[in-house]
Amino acid sequence: MLWLALVFPDWPLQALFRGQKHRTPLAVEARQRMLALDAAALAQGVRPGQGLADALAVAPALLIRTQSVEAEHAALRDAAGCALRYTPQVVLEADGLLLEIAGSTRLFGGTDRLLRQLRTDLAAAGFHALTACAPTPRAARWLALAGPGQCIDDIEDLHATLAALPLRVLETSERIKALLADSGLHSVGEVMRLPRNGLAQRDASDVRRLIDQALGRHPDPRPYFEAPRYCDSRLELPVPRHDADVLLFAANRLLNACCSRLSAAHAGIEHCLLRLEHEHHPATPLTLTLGTPSRDARRMALLVREHLARIALPEAVCAVRLQATDWISLAGRSDDLFGPQAPSPDGCREACGTLVEHLRARLGRDAVYALSARADHRPECAHRVCEPGTGKTGRSPGKRPLWLLSPPQLLKLVDGHPWRDGPMQLIAGPERIESGWWDSDDTAGQCQGDALRDYFVAVGHDHARLWIYREHAPPHHWYLHGLFA
Amino acid sequence: MPTGHAVLDAELPGGGWPPGEMTELLTDCNGHGELSLLLPLLVRSSQNEGWLTWVSPPHMPGIPALASAGLRTPRLLIVQAGTTGERAWALRQALRSDACTAVVGWLGYVDTALLRRLQLAVRATTIPLLLFRSAGNANTASPAALRLLLSTSAPGVLRLDILKRRGRPASRPVHLSPDGSFAGTSGHPPLRRMAGSHAGASRTLALIA
Repeated sequence: MLWLALVFPDWPLQALFRGQKHRTPLAVEARQRMLALDAAALAQGVRPGQGLADALAVAPALLIRTQSVEAEHAALRDAAGCALRYTPQVVLEADGLLLEIAGSTRLFGGTDRLLRQLRTDLAAAGFHALTACAPTPRAARWLALAGPGQCIDDIEDLHATLAALPLRVLETSERIKALLADSGLHSVGEVMRLPRNGLAQRDASDVRRLIDQALGRHPDPRPYFEAPRYCDSRLELPVPRHDADVLLFAANRLLNACCSRLSAAHAGIEHCLLRLEHEHHPATPLTLTLGTPSRDARRMALLVREHLARIALPEAVCAVRLQATDWISLAGRSDDLFGPQAPSPDGCREACGTLVEHLRARLGRDAVYALSARADHRPECAHRVCEPGTGKTGRSPGKRPLWLLSPPQLLKLVDGHPWRDGPMQLIAGPERIESGWWDSDDTAGQCQGDALRDYFVAVGHDHARLWIYREHAPPHHWYLHGLFA
Repeated sequence: MPTGHAVLDAELPGGGWPPGEMTELLTDCNGHGELSLLLPLLVRSSQNEGWLTWVSPPHMPGIPALASAGLRTPRLLIVQAGTTGERAWALRQALRSDACTAVVGWLGYVDTALLRRLQLAVRATTIPLLLFRSAGNANTASPAALRLLLSTSAPGVLRLDILKRRGRPASRPVHLSPDGSFAGTSGHPPLRRMAGSHAGASRTLALIA
């Protein structure tokens, strides 16, 4: 067994803001006391444990948020999702993770390379962690807390290393910590040398159990994290902002975390909802539709960018929330042997779907469409707008123009002849089209019901070849319906 | 990429529409066969997997007519974009996506910088970009590799002046009759001279397309 412990320093702060850039000092408080501070706040002299009023007196620009347990849970789930790519055995701690990586080191090319990749993944989701490896989970966590960066493979070396650790790493009550400190003890090694019965008499046998678990002499069962098949995480902005870049950055954090979880679950999503929350207005929802199931964070970020370019925000955004519920199984895809020069049919199909969704994100859903043929004699009903990729093909009964005017253009009559900036010469026709008596005029769509027309091919005075028709019913209007382009 | 019209192929360097390059079709024609000119290329492109993207066509395409010409109409993707900037953006996205077999766009007024960006986008691909612009732009410079001025002088005859092509400038117009009927050789007005073109005689080619 080899356990990798991750400890997120200043977790309440990290969980809320996920490493977003900001200028003002930030702090998180719980029960009117400073809990976690960023570097800028520390530099201005604010200290953990300080009261709210004291902290504001020291640093008037300090931005203070209340600790949010839900946000911490959601952030921890996202971080665990990133870790699930490296091992299925992930344990959640209050402010960190434990990963059993003995089975994965070989696959990822050694502990160091695994760690480097994991750090990159976590950084993309906005997390920064202290790490340490040890043969037992508790020892790994203690090392990460007190001496991050260490990696101990051999259980025999554990005793000496742990003995040097300070007492603050012990997960015991404040009363026992105070008792040990009052007894003049400072390191774990000093507690190890105490007799067991003495500790038990002082109601501190817990300490001994913890040390035994860390040394691997006492069982230490841990429940493994099972990732839920949905994503719902929220990220607060330090200051409400309008700028697309800032919002995109925040959305990227959430998308990266979501996509890491998706890839660990071998799943993809077809759509997700990004809500931009405002202080006074209801949230602005952005629905990202991907067309094909995907877990490509870059693709989603591209869609977010297009949406942000299009919409007008009613107010500055104070938080971003990503909800992705319908997960679809999506097996991994092998890369193409010849790269982009000869893309596979799968890659091409995916590119086709991506293009449609990308265009729709900016231009609107109705602006991008395909046309499907329909078996109808009325020219305006011989096609219908359909979803790209679902169209049918069908040939025409006679000669049809390449451009169809919709709606048909009413032609003037001069001396009883149709006129379009000049006289026309009829060169073919008439072709009688009489159809559609079953459609009433009020049906939805473009079909205008009963059609009773005589079509002619005409040549205009500018030599344009036109497709015109004369209504059979009085008052026998002439219309221009198409152009032989 | 052969145009499907042998006489036009003979006039174009490379023997057809240049792939990976921008072609401008400058025309005020509306119903003179300007779309039929592209039809052989579009039909061939539609046989391959991928979209045949039309950005902002001026009218509704006649699906039965396209299908009768052999075009696989389900491959046709229509994009309606309002402003010129959006149209150019849609064209660039279509070119960049690796999902298109040919891209046809109808542009209004565009400045040279925008055209240059389109030209750069299409250079990175192997598909042709065909832009319809109004004939009024014939005298302004453009980065396109091939510029054709489309006009008509007789019914059923499309006259093509090659304003710009790779290599030697063209001096004579090409007359095409898109529906295959014989195009008359007489009665054409004198060739419109473009700056920099050779002062060749206004030779007229009648051809059967």
